[in-house]
Amino acid sequence: MSMDAMVLDHMMNPKNYGTLPTANAEGIGKNPQNGEKVVIYIHVKEDEEKPYIDDVAFQAIGCTTTIVAGSMLTEEAKGLTLDGAQNLVAATMQLLEKLPPEDAACSEMVALAIKAAVDTYEKRKEEGEYPPITYQVTNDCTPKEENAQ
Amino acid sequence: MKTVLIKTHEAWLEMLMAGFMSHTQSRQRLFDFSDILWRHFTWIEHALIESGEAYDYDRDNIPIKVDRLDDMLRAIVSRLLEIDLQLVGLEDRALASRISTDIAYMVDVLHGMNDEVVTAFNMERKMPGMDLSEEARDALTLFLFDESYKEYELIMIYNYLKAHSSDAYLNRIFQILIDESFFHLKQFGEMMAQMGILAVPRVLMKELYQVEDVIAFLKEGIEEEIAAKDECRKLSDAVGKDAPQLAKFFDFINYQENYHIELMTEALAHFKKERHG
Repeated sequence: MSMDAMVLDHMMNPKNYGTLPTANAEGIGKNPQNGEKVVIYIHVKEDEEKPYIDDVAFQAIGCTTTIVAGSMLTEEAKGLTLDGAQNLVAATMQLLEKLPPEDAACSEMVALAIKAAVDTYEKRKEEGEYPPITYQVTNDCTPKEENAQ
Repeated sequence: MKTVLIKTHEAWLEMLMAGFMSHTQSRQRLFDFSDILWRHFTWIEHALIESGEAYDYDRDNIPIKVDRLDDMLRAIVSRLLEIDLQLVGLEDRALASRISTDIAYMVDVLHGMNDEVVTAFNMERKMPGMDLSEEARDALTLFLFDESYKEYELIMIYNYLKAHSSDAYLNRIFQILIDESFFHLKQFGEMMAQMGILAVPRVLMKELYQVEDVIAFLKEGIEEEIAAKDECRKLSDAVGKDAPQLAKFFDFINYQENYHIELMTEALAHFKKERHG
């Protein structure tokens, strides 16, 4: 990881770290190989024509690289519509394809957790109590739902 | 009482961070006070367990980025006074009184401390008397962030296990592991402050310390300690050319992990014996 001032700032003061009591959806990204995981909490503002993520938080069991990725990507996700958040995930996954798998895994875990949170939100529109979706990191970037119903 | 626990948790870490920021004789005083606040934390936790009230180790993020030590000291005094007010609700009046008298003294001493310029956040990433290559500096930075969090995590996990155990054999092991992690956290925090990258370890996820399967936790923990030894060895190699003294320090930390592995192995054998009779 290249350590410029911006990266150091994310290390020292991770943005959006913690839980979000007002969240209306959560999603989990998991690395089954080492037990690391990221939980994303989102609050989607629903009284708008196009719902958007007006607040987001994350927690992680993982290394500093995961924390930096969580801090950066949640900052990016804030204010996005649900389609915008899916595009952010897709763009991140595309960027990660250029990295060796071991370097990509941490950011992939965060991106998949964002996708899981958005997908959970969509599912809950049909089924209010839908449990948080978990996606596992994969080398081919095709997320697999852990607890598919 | 839960609020007192949370605020005391925050005050403990805030005081510890202030110790890292100080370059003068105030430093040791601040460390001693942070140790006192840690002990308050364990007293309050014990009272919560006795009363059957559910609790966890959640807390707010703690802003510590200041230019002057005075700003940090003012924030700590304000938090201590807030705790003092909250003590009114504590059922154990003797405990409340003991904590309150400590707070009164600490506030008095903090008011009398001299101001200092704080350099712990300048991001210069230089170690005094050492000329590290960029590669070595990056490796050291990443190590310090990963491991300072890890030591905090271990302190809280072993404290939680100890708080919920009345087994003297295990509690001796847990206490040594807590003490070792405190030592490491202080060493790493000091280096982070010297490099201008001081940061409060992040809040723990509950599932880390509310351990469901202690045997699995200890087995994984031993594996993690072995991996940590390897990280220390790699870091020692990375900085060895530019800073032999620093390399020796990381070799020392590497060898210290042998104590942790032994203690966790003993705890594991004890749990297995208990489970299987």
